[in-house]
Amino acid sequence: MSLFSVKDLSVKFDTADGVVEAVKNISFDINPGECLGIVGESGSGKSQTFMAAMGLLPPAGRATGSALLNGEEILNLPINKLNQIRGDDVGMIFQDPLTALTPHLRIGQQMREVLQVHEGMQGAAARARCLDWLDRVRIPEAKRRLDQYPHELSGGMRQRVMIAMSMLCNPKLLIADEPTTALDVTVQADILDLMVRLQKDEGTAIALITHDMGVVARMCDRIQVMRLGEFVEAGDTREIFQAPKHDYTRTLLEAMPRIDAGDAPKALANVEEPMLKVDDVKVHFPIHVSGGLFGHKVPLKAVDGVSFDIRKGETLGVVGESGCGKSTLARAVLQLIEPSAGNVSWLGHPIVGLRRAELNKYRKDLQIVFQDPLASLDPRMTISASIAEPLKTYRPDLTERERKEMVAEMMERVGLKANMINRYPHELSGGQNQRVGIARAMINKPKLIICDEAVSALDVSIQAQIVALLRELQQEFGLSMIFISHDLSVVRAISNRIMVLYLGRIVELGDGEVVCSEPVHPYTKSLISAVPIPDPDVERSRTRLKLPGELPSPMDPKAALRFLPSRLSAGETDYVPKLSEVAPDHFVAEHDSLDVIMAKA
Amino acid sequence: MLAYSLRRLLVAIPTILLLIVACFFLMHFAPGGPFTSERPLPPAVLANIEARYGLDQPLWKQLWDYLYNIVVHFDFGPSFKFKDRDVNDIIAQGFPISLTYGSLSFLVATAVGVSLGIAAAIKHNSWIDYFAVGLGIAAQALPNFIMGPILILTFTLWLGWLPGGGWNGGQWQYLIMPVIALATSYMGSIARITRSSMLEVLNSNFIRTARAKGLPTRTVIWRHALKPTLLPVVSYLGPVFVYVLTGSVFVDIYFSTGGLGQAYVGSALSRDYAVLLGVTILYGALTVVVNLLTDLAYAWFDPKIRY
Repeated sequence: MSLFSVKDLSVKFDTADGVVEAVKNISFDINPGECLGIVGESGSGKSQTFMAAMGLLPPAGRATGSALLNGEEILNLPINKLNQIRGDDVGMIFQDPLTALTPHLRIGQQMREVLQVHEGMQGAAARARCLDWLDRVRIPEAKRRLDQYPHELSGGMRQRVMIAMSMLCNPKLLIADEPTTALDVTVQADILDLMVRLQKDEGTAIALITHDMGVVARMCDRIQVMRLGEFVEAGDTREIFQAPKHDYTRTLLEAMPRIDAGDAPKALANVEEPMLKVDDVKVHFPIHVSGGLFGHKVPLKAVDGVSFDIRKGETLGVVGESGCGKSTLARAVLQLIEPSAGNVSWLGHPIVGLRRAELNKYRKDLQIVFQDPLASLDPRMTISASIAEPLKTYRPDLTERERKEMVAEMMERVGLKANMINRYPHELSGGQNQRVGIARAMINKPKLIICDEAVSALDVSIQAQIVALLRELQQEFGLSMIFISHDLSVVRAISNRIMVLYLGRIVELGDGEVVCSEPVHPYTKSLISAVPIPDPDVERSRTRLKLPGELPSPMDPKAALRFLPSRLSAGETDYVPKLSEVAPDHFVAEHDSLDVIMAKA
Repeated sequence: MLAYSLRRLLVAIPTILLLIVACFFLMHFAPGGPFTSERPLPPAVLANIEARYGLDQPLWKQLWDYLYNIVVHFDFGPSFKFKDRDVNDIIAQGFPISLTYGSLSFLVATAVGVSLGIAAAIKHNSWIDYFAVGLGIAAQALPNFIMGPILILTFTLWLGWLPGGGWNGGQWQYLIMPVIALATSYMGSIARITRSSMLEVLNSNFIRTARAKGLPTRTVIWRHALKPTLLPVVSYLGPVFVYVLTGSVFVDIYFSTGGLGQAYVGSALSRDYAVLLGVTILYGALTVVVNLLTDLAYAWFDPKIRY
């Protein structure tokens, strides 16, 4: 008998615009101990399906149909009956661990109340059980964590706490709703490993809700592909990956970039005169720390001596985990924040420390596209006004009519329909808004565009379209591009060269394909090995290089020498690892051998 | 936290000095003085009086003497209007009265407002919600100078239940109407802030987690949702506390309570420099202290805040 069986489930929302049907008559089963993947893009209703079953829909939502847990109906049960199931028979973890825990309660308090409610367990016994689970999810220093508040833990650790908390009563089913989406790749890999182990050791069935085909390939026995509230395809993971039957599944699989595809753009030949030259740029932020009557300030070295150049028509991919200084570097290059030290020159002219008017001459050629398309557009301006704005600044000679023509032309070029000119950002989808962002950046035909996580907030299929658009525009206008992302697969698909940052410093810089297929630096190796590949056979046979320790904080002075423990033990805490050219155009930061680094654990 | 409090209090000293200097000059630049009246005094008499109060001295000297007396003797000087009474007396008499009905109003406004707001949010879009929102808006639209006459008409003139005014040592019959009059509009604002804050918190991810854990609704509300809900309410309560503590001129006039509010406004109208400055300094010092307390209270509501 199946553990969890959903029949003809529909979810409707009463909205001001009438009834919206988010989930339409879907049915599926989850067997004991298996991992079922529910795959789909935003708005497909994948989360709402489970929220409805667990009685967690917002007040405007209504669910009909049936959801059987161990053969008993749980859909639309009264709240006190549901409360006996939630957290006991069914555990849940969610996306965004940073906001999923109550901020003013200690980790131990939040865990213990689960045991109190479901098993009446209190005191030392409850504490011991919590500690045991924190150990099982491999949280370092578990004992200390019990008395800490959520904000004192990193995102990865908070997600571990969430998992431990949902496993406390040995649930038969764990619902994981995009559990790794907001996390860095190495942290994501750790969390997925952990879930695989729970499934094996505890026999817990997992319902994994995700948009990421790579995660599915690693985790799931079976998948259900969902689109617009309906299942379009269901079946064994391997079969679906090998021979997808539905067009939508095929589109999803094709849109997903693979880090092992081997078709990255080749590096361009080194030229005498680069477009952009960045020389030893540093950005230090003073951070206030308490201590003494007035406290004092210490520098946070967000970017700490980065040098590179960009050739004409080249794309440089910049990757690294959160806190590595990717975005700060982009802003420093464009002089949106002033570097604390170092030089940036554009076509041979230094642009650091220029006055505003001087700088504006260069700004026309240097543009940026930001991560959150909706937030980076003025909500009170129509999209055509946003696109036209740079023209008003840099081409004041144009007449109103010429401007309109250029905007219309650019909108068409980036794939926006002409009838959208008077729309506002909130009326468009994320992908459309990002096209507006690109059109705005491109309207003056700049020579360099920086894409700062420009596709990260978008669904995979939209992401693929935007990447394709960027490549086309690049060829058409001979653009140079800096493409910043935490997603190595996307970066590899578009970049000629890749630069890997770690805590504000370069650890590896070289040809994109070489960096991805034959990384030299241990950090790059661990990053690449953590990227999930959307192919179950390849993904499950890979071995991961797991470096000791959690993702370090940029405030930790020792973290900078994580790959040079020999210098650290020699007391040279201020040592700066040097970059050496291991092959033509392939630079790697100085590091100890892998054995020495691993021995530290 | 101790270092932080000390630092804040140190910063408060120049703040209050600046307040005194600014008020001092503003007052002296305002046309008229404490001894101007419809029937002008003979010049010799006026000169005599001004000399007695030191008003013939240059302004900087007056300011210096004033500050000197405060710092060294804690003496805020004599009242210009009431013979034989000095500012310390006037404050000592009026402030306890304002403090009594003010802090009671504060408690009533907070208790009723917060409960109403929470009830409305929990029963969102039900009759309780509509009732609470309606009451909140109505209360907000009833400032104390409207509430005063309404209360007196109803409870004194019509029903004859309560005395129409006076203080009488703060007996409860005399307190009820001033407290209600002062509390009503704040109660309305507090209810509205609490309600919208609670609604936002109930929509947050950690509340979803708490519900997914199978916690009973009352645990979700009281243990998980209450503290974050009250955070914005607390920042509103700080200034309200100062304001109600120092009393209200309208309450003092309608109910003849004899609090500081009446003395304050009266002193401004009659250019009684000393009383006006004295009460202003009291307000300033209270504001500084209450703001500090509010900021320290944040740390209790949100462990992310550390001083």
